[in-house]
Amino acid sequence: MKKIHYSTLLAALMLFSGCKDFLDVKPQGQLTQEAFPTTPADALLATNGIYASLRSWHYHSGGYPILDIMSDDTRKGSNPNDQLSNLEPYDNFTFTTTQDGLDRWWATLYEGIKRANVVIEKVPLITMDTNLRNRYIGEARFLRGLFYFDLVRAWGGVPKVTTTTPPLKLERSTAAEIYALIESDLQFAGGHLPEKSAYNSEDLGRASKGAANALLAKMYLFEKDFMQAEQYALSVVNSTEFYGLEPFFKDANSKLGEHGIESVFEIGAMETEGDVGNQYANTQGVRGTPNRGWGFNRPTQDLRYSFEDGDPRLDATIIDLGEVIDGIEILGDGTTPDITEDEDGNIIEVECYNQKVWIPGTSTNTQFGHNRRLIRFADVLLMAAEALNENNKPSEALVYLNRVRERAREGNTQILPEITTTSKDELRNIILEERRHELALEGHRFWDLLRTGKAAEVLGPLGFVSGKHDLLPIPQNEIDISQGSLTQNPNW
Amino acid sequence: MHKRIPNHNILKLVIVCSLVLLASGGFAQRLIKGNVSAAENKETLPGVNIIIKGTTRGAVTDLDGNFTLEVSATDKTLRFSFTGYEDQEVEIGNASFLTILMKEKSTLLNEVVVIGYGTVRKSDLTGSVSSLKSEDLLKTTASNPMQSLQGKAAGVHVTTTSGAPGAGLSVRIRGVGTLNDSEPIYVVDGVILNDISFLSTNDIASMEVLKDASATAIYGSRGANGVVMIQTNRGKIGQEKTVVSFSSEYGMQRLAKKIDLLSGREFAIISNEIKPGSYNNVDAVPNTDWQDQVFRTAPVQNHQLSVTGASKNMEYYFGIGLFRQDGIVPKSNYQRISVKFNNTYYVNDYVKFGSNLTLSPYEQRNAPNVTYSVYRAQPLLNPYYADGSFGVVYNVGNPLADLAYSNSFNRGIRGVGNLFTEIKLSKHFTFKSSYGLDAGLNKAENFTPAYTIYNPDGTASQQFNEFSDLSKSSSDNYSWLWENTLTYEQRFDKHRISAVGGYTMQKTRSEAIGLAGQNIIRNESDFWYLEPPYILDEANNINMLGGIYNNVDANQFYNMISYLFRANYTYNDRYILTATFRRDGSSKFSEQNRYGNFPSFAIGWNAGNESFIRDIDLISTLKIRASWGKIGNEKITYFDRFARVNSNLMAIFSNPDAAYPGASYGKSGNPDLKWETTTQTDIGIEAGILQDKLTLEADYYYKVTDDILVELSTPGHLGNGQGQKVRYNAASVMNRGLEVNLGWREKIREFSYHIGLIGTTIYNEVQSIGGNSGIDSVLIDGYLGNGIPVTLSRVGLPIGAFYGYQTDGIFQTQAELDAYPHASLAEVGDLRFLDVNKDGKINGFDRTYLGSPIPKFTFGLNIDLQYKAFDLTLDLQGQSGNKIFNGKDAVRPDPYNFEHNVWDRWTGAGTSTSEPKPSFGGYNYTPSSRFVQDGSFVRLRNVIIGYSLPKTITSKMLMQSARVFIKGSNILTLTKFTGYTPEIGSYSVLANGIDNGIYPIAAVYSIGLNVTF
Repeated sequence: MKKIHYSTLLAALMLFSGCKDFLDVKPQGQLTQEAFPTTPADALLATNGIYASLRSWHYHSGGYPILDIMSDDTRKGSNPNDQLSNLEPYDNFTFTTTQDGLDRWWATLYEGIKRANVVIEKVPLITMDTNLRNRYIGEARFLRGLFYFDLVRAWGGVPKVTTTTPPLKLERSTAAEIYALIESDLQFAGGHLPEKSAYNSEDLGRASKGAANALLAKMYLFEKDFMQAEQYALSVVNSTEFYGLEPFFKDANSKLGEHGIESVFEIGAMETEGDVGNQYANTQGVRGTPNRGWGFNRPTQDLRYSFEDGDPRLDATIIDLGEVIDGIEILGDGTTPDITEDEDGNIIEVECYNQKVWIPGTSTNTQFGHNRRLIRFADVLLMAAEALNENNKPSEALVYLNRVRERAREGNTQILPEITTTSKDELRNIILEERRHELALEGHRFWDLLRTGKAAEVLGPLGFVSGKHDLLPIPQNEIDISQGSLTQNPNW
Repeated sequence: MHKRIPNHNILKLVIVCSLVLLASGGFAQRLIKGNVSAAENKETLPGVNIIIKGTTRGAVTDLDGNFTLEVSATDKTLRFSFTGYEDQEVEIGNASFLTILMKEKSTLLNEVVVIGYGTVRKSDLTGSVSSLKSEDLLKTTASNPMQSLQGKAAGVHVTTTSGAPGAGLSVRIRGVGTLNDSEPIYVVDGVILNDISFLSTNDIASMEVLKDASATAIYGSRGANGVVMIQTNRGKIGQEKTVVSFSSEYGMQRLAKKIDLLSGREFAIISNEIKPGSYNNVDAVPNTDWQDQVFRTAPVQNHQLSVTGASKNMEYYFGIGLFRQDGIVPKSNYQRISVKFNNTYYVNDYVKFGSNLTLSPYEQRNAPNVTYSVYRAQPLLNPYYADGSFGVVYNVGNPLADLAYSNSFNRGIRGVGNLFTEIKLSKHFTFKSSYGLDAGLNKAENFTPAYTIYNPDGTASQQFNEFSDLSKSSSDNYSWLWENTLTYEQRFDKHRISAVGGYTMQKTRSEAIGLAGQNIIRNESDFWYLEPPYILDEANNINMLGGIYNNVDANQFYNMISYLFRANYTYNDRYILTATFRRDGSSKFSEQNRYGNFPSFAIGWNAGNESFIRDIDLISTLKIRASWGKIGNEKITYFDRFARVNSNLMAIFSNPDAAYPGASYGKSGNPDLKWETTTQTDIGIEAGILQDKLTLEADYYYKVTDDILVELSTPGHLGNGQGQKVRYNAASVMNRGLEVNLGWREKIREFSYHIGLIGTTIYNEVQSIGGNSGIDSVLIDGYLGNGIPVTLSRVGLPIGAFYGYQTDGIFQTQAELDAYPHASLAEVGDLRFLDVNKDGKINGFDRTYLGSPIPKFTFGLNIDLQYKAFDLTLDLQGQSGNKIFNGKDAVRPDPYNFEHNVWDRWTGAGTSTSEPKPSFGGYNYTPSSRFVQDGSFVRLRNVIIGYSLPKTITSKMLMQSARVFIKGSNILTLTKFTGYTPEIGSYSVLANGIDNGIYPIAAVYSIGLNVTF
């Protein structure tokens, strides 16, 4: 009897030991990275996945619109205490290497770059239609270029990652090396992407040839390569593609103008909080009644008074208290003073909001549906004008500048007179001023001041220091984590 | 070598003796003879006192244990008593010769202790184990039995994470041994579990906490945070009769302490100082005490009926219990019914089988976190308008409205149990197989109606819900554990060997599914269903069904295979050796790192059995033991090792906007993950002095955990994304300390008492973090509500240490402000921060260590007194050396009410050196030592006064015993902390001791009844 017991026991033990697969538990409902992307359908998924980065709250300069706040166009906004220590330093240039938001922006741009690299590295290995494959890779390279363009403008030379398996330690490349990468990415994209109109309606919003060329033009402006800037800006302006200006300025950013003739590249978003919405507009939405958001990014009095007399764009840029938009009266926030005065009784701030992110409605949810325009045709026209002026073709520049002013005029001949000057310096200033009014609160002003060398003059009184604030500080935690392989920008 | 006889055989002998006696019939005066020996070893006992009950006549046994006594016909019973042995009463009947076996009193060293995969006599135990019996545990009324351990077991630190009904506990055994999950594992009747909230304390017979490596190594990869062994009640063959017991307790809970907040008038005065002209007449403002508005007294009740019994070949226990607690915050409650059935069948002398089953349906209602809004709400706002509608509470929301519109429920059932069989293969070998199962089903339901709270001017306030919301989710989990062990027992001469070897398999699974919708057609609960036609926003033609998910619980999805072995050798009842080994394989690790080995060795010396110690009268028992071993921790998700694809990356294209699926690489995985290993050394002493009147148990432990599985930030350029961390084996932590357990037990005639004192010191230090190139070297956590972190785990500091600016007084004058480095926002009357790095600037680099949330010393004092029919229990518990971060005070984005310390504000040079000029937020609310408070406390955990009804009454009511009691719990707490309770527990070791508005612990006053039939 004893023997039987032992042998059954032994048999049982041996039986259990056979279960080697028992310890092999795979992820449930999720692919592993080795197994993706491997099919044409995967290639589409991977390409779509990059676009999701554009709706990440952090993608938009770390969450809060710090590029506008750092410019002379806006102040922090919301009620006085809200995010005071996080955002006020951007307004008065007292931010530090550990300032809130810098690390979020940095990490999210690189997350987008990784998603782009997945397509750029893996999709060529998939057997599929060559044109479609090139389009996917073109989209990925456009978006990678877009992400690096933010990185290089914000921080200068940064670690250059072009594979899905970068080393843990990576030193900074030079700004020139990053610009060269952006250039090759965007040129590839321009060469392989279809025009906006060649996409099926369900693909409206994908990177297009026009978007790639427009972004290239912008990049060359930053590099002060005005010949190339002119060439690429004009290639968009003169393309067979039907780009144009919305008849009414307010529609350039409105719900009505989404994917319209003026839209060169925009970020699609749906009217709901969560995966498919974009918090960018909620962050800046009207605070209080109606409750459309947090109310950050408050237009300055300086911006308000910089508009030419009667410029209808002022009203379409700033929401004031008491204004009625789409039948909704703006009452604003109870904890925010309507008017803030300094000790001498001068008005330094008035409760008002960014109208360019306005979505008709009274709920917070709908505000998530604003499609942020990253490149609009008006911007391209002004880029063309700027490049032409720099290339000593002022009369050609005036054509594009006045085209923008003409639309802004909306038929009222009493305002916004046609510009006629051909003085290069004068025109340069006029174009910069036009950009301020046309593109206010869209995140361009700070970069424009920097690249045109006007930052010290305009922002100096706010605390800007040349040679320091031209670049943001590398987030301190990135430097700490790199254990010495990342160096800080000068004077930080 | 003496043969041990199992206890039920002794009982049988006694019964047989008694029967013989009864059969002999009775006469007048006659002689009765007998012999008394020890049941344990049959050695005769000289000097045993024999008294004829009810008389003063008696005798004493001679050197050979014999006695002779003259008895009369009226003498019925003999009482035998002897030091160190239990008193025994024997019916005289017709017997002429009595053979009496005296049972040794259960003393320090001859108790039987439950250890992993077996039991051991305490004298043979080489590990450090704290044992608690049912009567110790039952003093505390709580939904979770672990709460009974508060202040009762040395080295065990139990903290409530919230006072909400059914809320969890944080249990730390011997410090904080890891940077991830630091909770121990629970072994209930042999089934390994992560949580025992399903279990009723009334069903528990004993609880042992295994602490050192010798005790825990048998649980290998899961033992590093300690192991709590729980045996539930069972019948016993040979027990005289079926015992039916009933206990019932009903208590009222109330807020034990209110936070001292500003009144309406005081708040108006402070507001006027911050912003002149805010309130024209500070004497005319309302004064609402929001704490009084919200907190209520609420009942808690616990009832239990159980039956314990046995027949010739079967033992059983049946228990049914009801625990119900209403929260002191309305709309919070917890109710659990527990059904317990344990039974064992003896097929023959060799084979037995049985089962231990628990089934616990529960219901929990969760209140929204109004504790925080009560703290913040301005006192000069009225809760209601004149028309009875809810008043607006700026910036916070009206907590009464939050409560009124909250409907949040958890309902579920959990079943835990095992089937087992035990086969005695031979005299020395026993085979045991147990199949355990833990299965649960939980449903969560939340409904918030559409509502709007209006401003006084009739406009909508920020507190509203545009559409009614309904969300539902359900999760199930099941886990099976099959354990097969072979036990070997052998004794010869002075050697005693026991060994156990085994093979176990476990599979654990859990899955969740959920969905949500808006715009439900009616608010009544009858309509709380996600019927697609209802959840349509017809105006916008949007389908409002959303929040859909279906996934597995990554922490509860793994398989394990383990091999275990332990040998215990005792020589001459003096020298003990234990060797333990476990080899665990887990699906959580890649194939190359799949198995981990966990050995331990221990020695013990029962010095008390040496003749030279035995001769010392003072010392009754003495044992010295030492152990060393390695144990593991594997509480990570099953997929940390995989690099996964994130498939939730929508692209939005087309006009109108439409979502298109997208996917891409998620964060990196780490296929090189391996076990986290804790190496622990323990030296202990156990002593009994003055016939074990005084008992002492002391342990020194030193444990270092290496290769800690910790999630670290990675360089941004890897593209893992904002806030995403990757798990590495990349840290080590040391804990060391001293545990002392002192007891004094004495009986003076009808007065008996016991005093127990436990004390534990903890020293915790992070020894390394990171290490690999390109990953963090510090862990930042403890994020407050405004996203600012206040804990930092760094080499040389305790885990989760608080950090921030060190305050250094207040800038009294402009000259002082100018003279010191200060942040740009600082003004006269503001806090002065210490320039820690002395670089002349105040910035992030000046943030410094501000204290640890881990207590340096924890203690408990337990006193039990019994006089005649009365009993009194006093349980005190406390800790010292820890800090609490008052997070609720530090987060002030908007104007909120203040704690009363603000009243002592700075109002001009020299008026205050600690309390700055008032402000509604901003600079002075930068996380600093201003918010770090002393967390030391002494709490009167329980006071119980009981009265047992005399037998004369109980027997008339067919009761064996009956006791009534009154009890007060948490009725007194001495602490400097200004919050509701200094007990601030957290599951996260990195974010511990932060009071972000904790649900208060209630003081409970209750009455109860225990009856046995």
